[in-house]
Amino acid sequence: MITLIINGLKVTVPEGTTILEAARRLDVEIPTLCHHEGLSPQGSCRLCMVEIEQRGRRRLVASCMFPVAEGLVVETETETVAGARRFVLGLLRDRCPRSEEIAALAARYGAKPFGRLPLGERDLCIHCDRCVRACEEEATGCIAFSFRGWARRVEGPFGEAPADCIGCGACAQVCPTGFIAVEEEGGMRKIWGKSFELLRCSACGKPFATREELVFQGLDEGDLLCDRCRKREFAASFTRGVR
Amino acid sequence: MDRDALGAILEVYDREERFLLPILQDIQERFRHLPREALTETARYLAVPESRVFAVATFYKAFSFTPKGRKPIKVCMGTACHLRGASTLLEELERELDLSVGKTTSDGQFSLETVNCLGACALAPVFTVEDRVYGKAEGRLAEILERERKS
Repeated sequence: MITLIINGLKVTVPEGTTILEAARRLDVEIPTLCHHEGLSPQGSCRLCMVEIEQRGRRRLVASCMFPVAEGLVVETETETVAGARRFVLGLLRDRCPRSEEIAALAARYGAKPFGRLPLGERDLCIHCDRCVRACEEEATGCIAFSFRGWARRVEGPFGEAPADCIGCGACAQVCPTGFIAVEEEGGMRKIWGKSFELLRCSACGKPFATREELVFQGLDEGDLLCDRCRKREFAASFTRGVR
Repeated sequence: MDRDALGAILEVYDREERFLLPILQDIQERFRHLPREALTETARYLAVPESRVFAVATFYKAFSFTPKGRKPIKVCMGTACHLRGASTLLEELERELDLSVGKTTSDGQFSLETVNCLGACALAPVFTVEDRVYGKAEGRLAEILERERKS
């Protein structure tokens, strides 16, 4: 176990924990965009920067990637930290002027758009890579970032509807700005230019998963339970046989 | 696309993701571009998602989706070359070849592209045809191209 100090509070966590995870244990809030508990850390949005003091030196590090160390002193709300976040959010305001999520974060840190980036069509993608990681880690890896610089964008191979997409929607679920469009209507799910038939939960009858997903997970259609029913079933298993 | 040629490229490499880049380089060299079927086949061979192959293929400027000429011409646009008139050199080449940057001549012999530094600043302004380096070539362009056309 490792003991460190965050904003003057002592916390003891297992080795390998990140500063961000340790801070959340203390209910110390650190804003993040590219981080997602279910995905491997990436450290690309630089919003979670915190100031650490180690061997008498102070510096900024990305808390979502930085593993805790014994005696580490962390400050999450210094003026340097706020400045770093303001800078990142200013750039993001330029990149995604239409994003409400970014606007809200920017307002919190008083970040203004720099207005120096070329004008033009702007989408909601902040290039955080969450969708790509979700697809890679939980599904087929059918989407990725293609091209580079200004042209960099997330899409299926050859800019087409990804052939390997199983319609699980994990990408849309983890997207922090709602860039990835997913539509559910009449028992169908539309995503990445493809249409998927939704199978029904065997308990409540809600259409919720695609057949392709089922095949990918190696599950049988018979005992399909949506997330709510699965939770209820799991909870019920504790009381079964108890009287 | 010549499937045997592609097979010959692939079989040199073990089926490991780290060989993606060298395979793409070999395909680019052999076919002078990356044919779509070759990318699909590479993804299958290495068992990596096609999206990853496409991502790498579109990231590097050295790769092209349209065939480059048998003799690609690279004009250096680096700082030293820029100061010594690289843009004039480029314009002259475009005129001599009747070709714009990024395009290939109809006979497939030459293609024209700009690069950011060839590392031969002392020869500025410099350009290469295949791997032959031509520096300080003002006034000799027509002659150089004529020789390149014939060789």
